[in-house]
Amino acid sequence: MTWYDSFLQQLVDGLVLGSFYALVALGYTMVFGVIKLLNFAHGDLYMTGAFVGFGGLSLVSGFLGAGWLGIFVAMLLAMLAVGCLGVVIERVAYHPMLGAPRLSILITALAVSLVLQNAALALTGGQYTAFRTELGFGGFNLGNLFLSYNQIVLVATAGVLMIGLELFVSKTLYGRAMRAVSIDKDMCRMMGINVSAVIAVTFFIGSGLAAAAGTMAGAYYGSIWYFMGFLIGLKAFTAAVIGGIGSIPGAMLGGLILGLLESFGTHIPFIGSEWKDVFTFSILILVLVFKPTGLLGKSEVERM
Amino acid sequence: MGNFLKWVASAALVNVAIGPLALAQDDPITLGVQVPTTGSEATYGKDMFNAISLAADEINADGGLLGGRQIELVSGDSACDPQQSVNAASRLASLEVVGVVGGYCSGATQPTLKVYGDANIPFVIVAANSTQLIPANPGNAVMINSTGNDQAKTALDFFEGEEIEKLAIVNQGDAYSQDLANLTRDAWSEAGHTVSAFEYVNKGEQDFSALVNKIRSSGADAVFWTAYYADGGLLIRQLRQRGFQGLIAVGDGSNSPKLFDIAGQAAEGVFAFSNPTADFLPAAQQFISDYNAQFDNSPGPYAPLAYDGLQLMAWAIDKAGTTDGDAIISALNSADGQEWLAGPVAFTPEHTLSRSNFVVLEGQDGNWTRYEP
Repeated sequence: MTWYDSFLQQLVDGLVLGSFYALVALGYTMVFGVIKLLNFAHGDLYMTGAFVGFGGLSLVSGFLGAGWLGIFVAMLLAMLAVGCLGVVIERVAYHPMLGAPRLSILITALAVSLVLQNAALALTGGQYTAFRTELGFGGFNLGNLFLSYNQIVLVATAGVLMIGLELFVSKTLYGRAMRAVSIDKDMCRMMGINVSAVIAVTFFIGSGLAAAAGTMAGAYYGSIWYFMGFLIGLKAFTAAVIGGIGSIPGAMLGGLILGLLESFGTHIPFIGSEWKDVFTFSILILVLVFKPTGLLGKSEVERM
Repeated sequence: MGNFLKWVASAALVNVAIGPLALAQDDPITLGVQVPTTGSEATYGKDMFNAISLAADEINADGGLLGGRQIELVSGDSACDPQQSVNAASRLASLEVVGVVGGYCSGATQPTLKVYGDANIPFVIVAANSTQLIPANPGNAVMINSTGNDQAKTALDFFEGEEIEKLAIVNQGDAYSQDLANLTRDAWSEAGHTVSAFEYVNKGEQDFSALVNKIRSSGADAVFWTAYYADGGLLIRQLRQRGFQGLIAVGDGSNSPKLFDIAGQAAEGVFAFSNPTADFLPAAQQFISDYNAQFDNSPGPYAPLAYDGLQLMAWAIDKAGTTDGDAIISALNSADGQEWLAGPVAFTPEHTLSRSNFVVLEGQDGNWTRYEP
């Protein structure tokens, strides 16, 4: 392999990894947009989504098979179920706290994260669950570049979800309300917008996207466990910050950039892959120091 | 009146507390079992606990130890995590257990050595086998599994036998896998071969695509994964998914049947180094059927060693004739070829097993089979 082939391969791999980060980062950024909360339970919704998707797949694989069709149906089920879970979490844990100091609600989010994680630990006994599918290892070579069909379906699905979200936010009434709420809640209330319904919709969509990413990751990588949301939660948070937290296109861009950074970070000459995360999280620090609003974020007076 | 009631209550409590002391001689002998029963290595941990309790049941049915005292097991969940394991060890030490059997993840076992050492509790380490445990051992622990040194030697012989020239070694940065990776790297380059990549992955990471590319572009003929099965399964899957054609071998932390669950098809033809598992031990046939009957499952790779660990501890307590820590420790170190399931047990002056017990396995049809080149 020449350096050029290797470069292209990194690019493709970075895009695949980046689409997972982007899907999860969207939830972070949307929730932050409407209630200014860093929802640390978001990574665990991704994990919950993977488990619900796994359950859904075992339900539907009998008549739809465990190929992409079955996985899609399972993914939709997971998005629906985890979306509702997200709304319940918001109603039970965050809604009563909206008037409380910011730190209290942040700590509540950490508690929700621990509740989800430990519930999954108790239910699964801490074991890895094999996510069995009928996806083959097929793919094709473009020169020396290897693209697997799974990667293509994955990136395409993530792309469709993100375009759908963008259309929803920019074209629909609820989308417009969502943007308005993120700018000024009180003014929205005065204009007759049902702010609390908008917040619920935001949680539903954000959690649903995390569940979609979780199910796809389970199917693609082949195993799920209760702690799988931790690292990706941190990284999606990083992606959201790089892109500018609160900004939806920013989260997508940040996710892709982070995926590419990680992919190339492994190949920095003379230092090994053990430095990959050091590299990645250094970027987070640098962004926070030099451009705290992120690449696409707008400057705001009030920050966490 | 209130005071009087309190006095009656506490007097009753004291009675309850003193009561059993009169029967001290027939008290059970409490042994701690330190294995991970939650977390990523829970499969192995529960399996080891089962094997240990099977051994304890057999001894109890035969009349127990020291003239009729029954063995009672207390579990300490190490979770394969250094912090949790120290908590578990401190708990076992505060319960004043007579001895501890277990120790699976080397990284989580190492810090417990000091805890047990300070409390002078004899410790039979049944699975953990990093060489870093050797200098950390205050003298109260014995290791009945061959160490990383022996496994690196077995790996060297195997890869040379398969005519590998460029080897990629991947570990997970914990004491056990890093130790095995370093030892293999040193042995491999000393023998005049090339280590084409020496890499590391984060525990819990799912995407290894960048790493796989790096391995492929390094031109490696073989990949040696030195860490555990959960992430190993993912790595193997992604290596094959991305068209890596070379040989893949995994260390003894990965030779679980669960590797086939996670890696699927990709695990076919993968080689594993293993401490002799029950299937390959002639003496263990009865053990396999007992284990099956009781737990409705076949014993995993460390079950025979775990079983032997408890038997060895029991033998040492009987030989010492007392529950005194020092006496049991010196009895343990004087083991000279006592044999249960996994072959004779005797120790070097460094408290490690005096022989290598590694075999090479190959993945075939979703099972491990003994590989004879």
